[in-house]
Amino acid sequence: MAMMATGTVSPKAHRRSIAAQDRLFGFLISAPGLAALLLIILFPIFFTIFTSFHDYTLIHPNFETYTGLEKYSEALGEGYFRTSIWTTIRFVIASVVIEFMIGFTVALMLNTVQRFKTIYYFILLMPLLINPVVVGLTWRMLLHSELGIVNYVIGLVGIPGVNWLGDPNIAFWTVVLVDIWHQVSFMAILLLAGLSALPREPYEAARMDGASAWRCLIHITLPLMRPVITVALLLRMIFAIKTFDIVFIMTKGGPGTATDLISYYIYRSAFFGLDIAKASAMSVLLLFAVLVLTVYLYRYMKSMT
Amino acid sequence: MKRLLLAGAILLAGMGVAKAKTIHILMETVPDTRYIQQLLPEFKKETGIDVDIEAISYIDMHSKLVPQLIAPQGSYDVIVVDFYWVGEFTKAGWLMPLDDLVKRDNVDLGRYVPKLLDLVGHVDGVTYMLPFYNYSMAVIYRKDLIADPANQAAFKEKYGMELRVPQTWDEYKKQVDFFTRDTNGDGKKDFFGTVIQGQRGDCISMQWANYLYANGGEYHDKNWNPEMDSPQAVQAMKDYRTHMLNNSPPGSESFCFDEAFNVMAQGKAYSFVTFNILYAGLDDPKSSQVVGKCGITPNPGGGLNGGWGWAIPKSSPDKDAAWKFIKWVESYPIAKKRALLGGAPTQTKIFTDPDVVAKRPYYPTLQKILEGVKDFPVFTYTTEFVEETGRELNLAATGQKEIGQAMKDANEAFRKLAIKDGKLKE
Repeated sequence: MAMMATGTVSPKAHRRSIAAQDRLFGFLISAPGLAALLLIILFPIFFTIFTSFHDYTLIHPNFETYTGLEKYSEALGEGYFRTSIWTTIRFVIASVVIEFMIGFTVALMLNTVQRFKTIYYFILLMPLLINPVVVGLTWRMLLHSELGIVNYVIGLVGIPGVNWLGDPNIAFWTVVLVDIWHQVSFMAILLLAGLSALPREPYEAARMDGASAWRCLIHITLPLMRPVITVALLLRMIFAIKTFDIVFIMTKGGPGTATDLISYYIYRSAFFGLDIAKASAMSVLLLFAVLVLTVYLYRYMKSMT
Repeated sequence: MKRLLLAGAILLAGMGVAKAKTIHILMETVPDTRYIQQLLPEFKKETGIDVDIEAISYIDMHSKLVPQLIAPQGSYDVIVVDFYWVGEFTKAGWLMPLDDLVKRDNVDLGRYVPKLLDLVGHVDGVTYMLPFYNYSMAVIYRKDLIADPANQAAFKEKYGMELRVPQTWDEYKKQVDFFTRDTNGDGKKDFFGTVIQGQRGDCISMQWANYLYANGGEYHDKNWNPEMDSPQAVQAMKDYRTHMLNNSPPGSESFCFDEAFNVMAQGKAYSFVTFNILYAGLDDPKSSQVVGKCGITPNPGGGLNGGWGWAIPKSSPDKDAAWKFIKWVESYPIAKKRALLGGAPTQTKIFTDPDVVAKRPYYPTLQKILEGVKDFPVFTYTTEFVEETGRELNLAATGQKEIGQAMKDANEAFRKLAIKDGKLKE
């Protein structure tokens, strides 16, 4: 301010100093937010990494023994941990792919709808607003093989009752289905937002040239939507990898190990096994996997556009 | 002026809070907690202390407790400890020994059922807890079906023995088989001899323990050498799998006690090996269609012992008030009132108190059940033990692993944990 008042500064330098002040101002107002982020995100992450290198258990919560990578090899040496990694991969692929297919179809349909849009939105958003624990408990009751409504209803049309959560082969798909029921609207809404922001002109031009709706979809909608689709898939994948509540409430990872997802495995290592260090090592591995996935998808998206 | 008034009001409110003493307790949302909540005004009247009970579901309790126990000063003055956690909590040194207080105030520990005092009272000769309520396991059965002359005749013809309240495991198994039926002739079983709560982890581990004891098996010998792959244990698993496949509703592989209870309460099963505290619910018209039709009897060969204890954590902010509360809640009049409301007693005299028996005629049977119960392995890693062996039991019960192999793996998992805890030398 003082420099400005003296009037001895060149206009260029003047602009620079304003820019510098803007930067300072920007930094100052974002500083509290950054500090909070640092505190609640970065600190726990580094603390987790630090813990994973020490023999930190709930029985002896201290950092006296440095264990290096021991906890990592211990984690990866557990056959059931590897099983849970594989189960999680299958779960993520199955739920995200199906959610995308349903979500995209619904979004395309809703994009053309003019009337009652609010009502459709409301219905779509409902499952998303329900707490996952409630979702799990409700479905658990509905799917009760003997007393549940689902088996009763399909019994009315002559289909024999399904052992939804008890059969190791079916239980996995039951969990996938419940996750889809709960999360598909997230996909639909995100994609719908993308669709409604697309420019009208290319479609009008294509119509003039006599392109069919299908060709419009393949050659205009999909390429234009690619960034939104990537973001939607990425977000859902990251959320799906972390799925915990549904499994925790509905199956406890069973029957056997059919629905034992990584998050629940880590939770058990920490709170049942009391081995915070090993659970931290597993969490770091999970974090690393998510990071690699994110970077890869981000790069892929950039290379496509 | 307005602000000044507001500030004054806040200040006054703050002083009010500071004056009235409040103690905080974390408890599980179970009937026994509700009974205490009903009686709290009496404690307030007697001592002037407010009690804030935070009741949450079991699955969240452990993860909510531990951070408070590690902290130098936690937020709970009194806690309730499941027998699962006893080894862990005492080994970690989170609980305050109560012996001095017990001695100072002449609290008679002899009033408790010895098996419960051993489970949720003493650890290695030190008193850390006072037993709160018991959830030992037993067989709940349909007494109306046993009394039915047609059933009696048919049973005698088929097995050459009387149909009566089961006294031996073999007899019980025959009854389970006998009562599993297709009642409407559509080729599908719709009435079941028993209900299995086979969900992986806690649910299957607790119920299977009764099958193990019934077959004469044990978890370990005196020196903590695991015996989960003994012929008795393998036979117990065979019985369990047979019941799950043939005599229990489909889906039992994923039932916990609540779903299994519903099957029993809807009148779709003859028997249920489960926690004694569920029995009261079967006599409640709000939750049951078989009111007055059920009986309860000890599991042949001994049921699983279970219970909760009151404890004061070392991180308790107000240990004096905490002890006052425990003394009050475990005093005879209050313990009796809890039992009258339906609570599961831990003090010997209450089981046979005339007022209690008049209202709850089956309480003397509960006492008999408690005399025969056996303890689960209680050590530092009980929770992990349940998780690891519960997984193997569920794998075997659902046919994903051969029974012999699953029991070997369970045994090995147990051995590792016992070694980790120093109970067993390598």
